[in-house]
Amino acid sequence: MKQSEILQPEAHQGKGKCGINRREFLLYSGTAVAATTVMLNIPGTAQAQEARLAQYPKKLIGKLSQLKQDEPVYFNYPDDGLNAGAMLIRLGEKAGGGLSKKQDIVAFSSYCTHQGGALAGTYNKQYKTMGQCPLHLTTYDLTRYGIVVSGQAYQSLPQVVLELDGDDIYAVGVMGLLFGRNDNLIG
Amino acid sequence: MEKTKFYDAVDKAPLPPKGADVLTTACDYCIVACGYKVYRWPVGTEGGPKASQNAFGVDFPTSALGAWVAPTQHNVVTHNGRKHNVVVVPDKDTEVVNLTGDSSIRGGTIAQKCYNPDKLTKDRLQRPLVRIHGSLVPVSWDFALDIAAEVANHVIDKHGVNAYSVKTFSYHFIENTYAITKYARRHVKTAAFTFHDTPSDVTSTPGFRDAGYDNFGAAYSDWGDADALMICGTDPYETKTVLFTQWIKPAIESGQKVVILNPRETAGVAFAKKYGAVHLDLYPGTDNVVVNAIARIIIENGWQDQDWIDKWVASKWETDSGFGQGTRNTPWQWRTTWGKFQTKGYEDWKKWLFAQDEYKLENASKISGVDPAKIVKAAEYMGKPIDGERPKTSIGIEKGFYWSNNTGNTEAIGALAAVVGAGGRPGQMIARFGGHQRGGQGGGKYPRNLSPEKVPGRRRRALDTDRWLVSGHTRMAHVIGTTWIQAMCGTTGLQAKFEELVTNNQHQVRSKDKQEIIATLKKRADSGGMVVINQDIYLIDPIGAKFADIVFPASGWGENDFMRANGERRLRLYQKFYDAPGESKPDWWIIAQLAKKMGFDGFDWENSNDVAEEAARFSRGSRKDFNMIKVDAHAKGITLHERMRQMGTTGIQGPVLRIEGELVGTVRLHDTTLELPETGAEKGNVFNKKLTHFNSQSGKVNMMKSPWGLFSDFWEWMKPQEDELWVTNGRINEKWQSGYDDTERRPYIKQRWPENFCEIHPDDAKKYGIKNGDEIMVYSKRVPIYKDTILGVKGDDYQFSSLMKNGHIDLIEASVKGIAMVTPAIKKGVLFMDFLDKRQPSNAIQARVVDWISGNYNYKMGVGKIKRIGGSIYQKEQHAMSFKPRNITGA
Repeated sequence: MKQSEILQPEAHQGKGKCGINRREFLLYSGTAVAATTVMLNIPGTAQAQEARLAQYPKKLIGKLSQLKQDEPVYFNYPDDGLNAGAMLIRLGEKAGGGLSKKQDIVAFSSYCTHQGGALAGTYNKQYKTMGQCPLHLTTYDLTRYGIVVSGQAYQSLPQVVLELDGDDIYAVGVMGLLFGRNDNLIG
Repeated sequence: MEKTKFYDAVDKAPLPPKGADVLTTACDYCIVACGYKVYRWPVGTEGGPKASQNAFGVDFPTSALGAWVAPTQHNVVTHNGRKHNVVVVPDKDTEVVNLTGDSSIRGGTIAQKCYNPDKLTKDRLQRPLVRIHGSLVPVSWDFALDIAAEVANHVIDKHGVNAYSVKTFSYHFIENTYAITKYARRHVKTAAFTFHDTPSDVTSTPGFRDAGYDNFGAAYSDWGDADALMICGTDPYETKTVLFTQWIKPAIESGQKVVILNPRETAGVAFAKKYGAVHLDLYPGTDNVVVNAIARIIIENGWQDQDWIDKWVASKWETDSGFGQGTRNTPWQWRTTWGKFQTKGYEDWKKWLFAQDEYKLENASKISGVDPAKIVKAAEYMGKPIDGERPKTSIGIEKGFYWSNNTGNTEAIGALAAVVGAGGRPGQMIARFGGHQRGGQGGGKYPRNLSPEKVPGRRRRALDTDRWLVSGHTRMAHVIGTTWIQAMCGTTGLQAKFEELVTNNQHQVRSKDKQEIIATLKKRADSGGMVVINQDIYLIDPIGAKFADIVFPASGWGENDFMRANGERRLRLYQKFYDAPGESKPDWWIIAQLAKKMGFDGFDWENSNDVAEEAARFSRGSRKDFNMIKVDAHAKGITLHERMRQMGTTGIQGPVLRIEGELVGTVRLHDTTLELPETGAEKGNVFNKKLTHFNSQSGKVNMMKSPWGLFSDFWEWMKPQEDELWVTNGRINEKWQSGYDDTERRPYIKQRWPENFCEIHPDDAKKYGIKNGDEIMVYSKRVPIYKDTILGVKGDDYQFSSLMKNGHIDLIEASVKGIAMVTPAIKKGVLFMDFLDKRQPSNAIQARVVDWISGNYNYKMGVGKIKRIGGSIYQKEQHAMSFKPRNITGA
């Protein structure tokens, strides 16, 4: 039986916080794990990534109390430029990188990372997926950091890093490159 | 303990600057072979987001379908000894194959394939290795080649040519396959020769050969131009992605009627169903009865294409006329000896069809488990005229179909094609969709008369190299670019035999002295053991890591100039764009050095182009005849490879003709609408019959019978008993054809598919107490193993029930583990696992019994039980895998 020696998400629970902060998101997310496995011997990598996230704007995108399960809230992030459309959603079940006590609030880019197809309107509430993308039929699993369920995308659906402050939900970063950009912060 | 690897979700990627080198290539993976561009520039610089600052000449960010570089499309390589960035992206300007610059997840991220000492490709083989004291020790090329050559010559001299067995890829570029087959079949002349996907060197689609269809006659446009498309044994979206997304999907959206024969519902199937496709979700191995039931319904309703049949189906006399393959030793001919296949033309075939009980709708439905209404609807789609117009119908098949009942299924579909007028016209074709790209070029004929296997009645059959090895006849195994063991069936027994013959033999190398090594390996061969040479780009377990005595490091895609064709016979040059790692060499070079050391003439090539130019002559008359490209090149004073380079990602479709000084490609084979120049084949051109007619003596289609009885005894024996389920297998989009790169060396794909999986229907899962993400074991005590190399005497000596009765079948146990995926997308009563997971090869469960007519394995046929071992980390952690079904289509 395999088991992860890398992280136990449960260990980060029960700290009395109502959500996770950027640092914890990193710990939950693939990137932090990459930092401890693939790039084990490169000092400062996690810090470098944290520093990178610090360059992103902090944007209020919704209220916890107003989010209804399976009803997407669309917003732009990190700017109002091309392919900045994103979607905030309360899945109703625990998700990788999820916010709230139930860890079920996540946000993702709404552009396919294959060739930029628009995914808005393809949220499937039974399975908590996005897609099929109208262009080449990729589907993504929103409970698992936007991983490709089936399809042709070159990477997971970029996940928007969230922070919860009281009732306010903020977007504070993006994990993964948005389609069409060479740098998420150049819109 | 193995760690789960994770994907580094970076949020920027370098753009190639203006002035970056631009080279063309095609994807290395699936049959479709999308065109790609490689942008290369020295490290230290980068392009900018403004059109004036980057090599694409566009402003970033870009909109949908625009130029883009995903982080996984960038890598750092060494070019001319200096570090360079490379960005490998689908060619946005292409007008063929991957229109709009489309790509799959595999090809789209192919930049990751390049050797990079800072990435997971760092374990590329870089130096020749020899096993000393059980460890593989780096040595010089001469040292390794001297040992291989001397031991090989000894084995051949002392134990005969068939004691030297060559198992090789069939597809990895024309230059390599030419050199390998020239060496093995023309010079060594071993009958113990075969390709990666079959135990013996035989045709993959016997029914196509008998009927007269080329496997790759169709053009990609034909799949889209059809009004009705029957897809057998594959979901093209999963395994020939861009063929689906660019050629079939738009057709479906414009009203194409699709019929899919497949026990599983994946994304492409689900998409087609949204538009009314009929999904014939059958039990493994029952395609034959469904196809014949469809043919029967079409004829009962008078929907057959009678004009086509009258004009293009061979009559009794045309069928009898010897097929141009000699009157005796033809694969087709011996079968007719027993009256199993041959008919006297259409009416005779029809009489036979209607006399078979199992092809009646209700019986076919019962055997296959397919709703009869769906079979009727499929017949309507394929044959029923709409407003008096017959639909243009095409049929594409692939391995789920022809690796289930190899001979029966391919004979049946060949006849159905003739009935609906498929084959020979635009939008009306029958062909394989394809698996690997077409990079095979014969450099020598298979020495059939040296094979000790003989088919009842007449001729010798290509030697089954697995049974030959298991019987202890193989003394030296030369394995090139394949796992051999996991790629075959009933793999557990095969691996045990390798262990016995290689690892457990008393003669193991314990000296660094070359002559002592040679003496030891000779003793091993003489004592009944086996010596193993492995030629590959990575050290593969177990063939290289555990069994190889000598390892030759090969170089490949992007590291040499190579030629290859795709599924519409489109030839392209795959350009070298970076330095191969270490001392690795292309396979043709390795073979040439070995051949020269063994004393063979004709291997004095200096470069890849030399090999291609020699091979050109041997391609004449074949489906990818490229000889006239060489003629054209020489007329222009350049090399064949240079001429290919000029054609970029467009390339040219074989067979290539040269008319009035211009190269002319061939859009489709058997094209009855094609007009060839009246002057005939001038100046070196070959006008093969297949350009305008079918591959038969008469040039017409032979109507062949496809008796269920040749297979039904095996199928009945395999049929699940009590707690058993069918165990079948197949490919998975995200790592199909690229497993050797993806499964182990791409963190993202490793994260998506960290282990083998097992799809199980919710009803079955409930019965066995299995939940999504559970670790399960699929096991069987009923894995039949055909163990002996026998001479067939009586007509049915090779039939499964006879083999069983005469003691030629052993039953072995096998088990494989996987992670359960509970999904209605697999037929109830059927388990589905990944075909080629080297760690947990599902082939361990599959019957190692060849199709007795053709000699191919029916890889899709297996039976076993399933049990839950326990939970898995994937149920608790949400980083890896996904348990969402693959047939979700939207909101």
